[in-house]
Amino acid sequence: MTTLYVLDVPENTAVAKVAAEDPAVVVDKIGPYFEIRADGPIVIDRRATGCRHAVWYSCVGGVARDGRITQHDKDALRVEPV
Amino acid sequence: MSERDHRVQGVDHVAFPTFDPAATVRFYRDVLGFPVVHSICAAGWGPEDHPDFIHFFFDIGNSDRIAFFYYFGTDTSVGGAEGEKGDVYARFGADVPEYFVRSRHLAIHVDDEEDLLEYRRRLDASDWPVEMQIQHETIESIYTHDPNGYMFEITRAMRPVTPQEDLDANLTIDALLDVVAEPEPTFGKLLARKAELIVEKAAGWETVVR
Repeated sequence: MTTLYVLDVPENTAVAKVAAEDPAVVVDKIGPYFEIRADGPIVIDRRATGCRHAVWYSCVGGVARDGRITQHDKDALRVEPV
Repeated sequence: MSERDHRVQGVDHVAFPTFDPAATVRFYRDVLGFPVVHSICAAGWGPEDHPDFIHFFFDIGNSDRIAFFYYFGTDTSVGGAEGEKGDVYARFGADVPEYFVRSRHLAIHVDDEEDLLEYRRRLDASDWPVEMQIQHETIESIYTHDPNGYMFEITRAMRPVTPQEDLDANLTIDALLDVVAEPEPTFGKLLARKAELIVEKAAGWETVVR
């Protein structure tokens, strides 16, 4: 299981929306955070989110211990099971 | 989170040395329009070797102030050897990374984009034009360096800070303190600890109606 938390603020909503386009990904809410879960990797395309630089590189609220970020650059955010 | 009452009222003043008071007054008073609101003419100050000085203040809004010390009979060498980077107070070698040199700075707040752009116009028409205009996460800033080499930022909020961002900030700090208490703190360890705190504390959080 891979779980990514993203704070629900206007700048970040596109991150959760793009993540949810993958049928293997479930997007829930926990308090004010999006909880983005998948059995395998979670991959979010940066250009699809339209996030500007500062928003993109600070959008991750937390990553549960069974996953880790393997890519976070101008192209994509990728979180994979450990 | 602290239960102590919060009594402070913002910045009284922040103070810097200057060796070029003429350019400093031009930048802050004449270009930016920050009024001179206070000055002290002092013949020394305690210790025998303390130079005579002028301590002068500009209003930066809310009656907060930026202040400078001009010490008669001194020049930049009083602060040590010239640096390759930095300002008249902090000098750095060429090998010091730019992010570190820029990390300590003063940012002055304006209410909206119109005011930000007004200060941009004033700076761009001066000898200290805006070097960068950047939209960060939720703020937009303009930057230049003042005549003393101090990095100078004016910033506006693009939207108000929300209560959930205050919660997030506190979870970040709790997670940070946990990971720096252990050997070899990393960003990955912080995100893992913060995920635990989100599960533990954020689930029951509800928006406080303001």
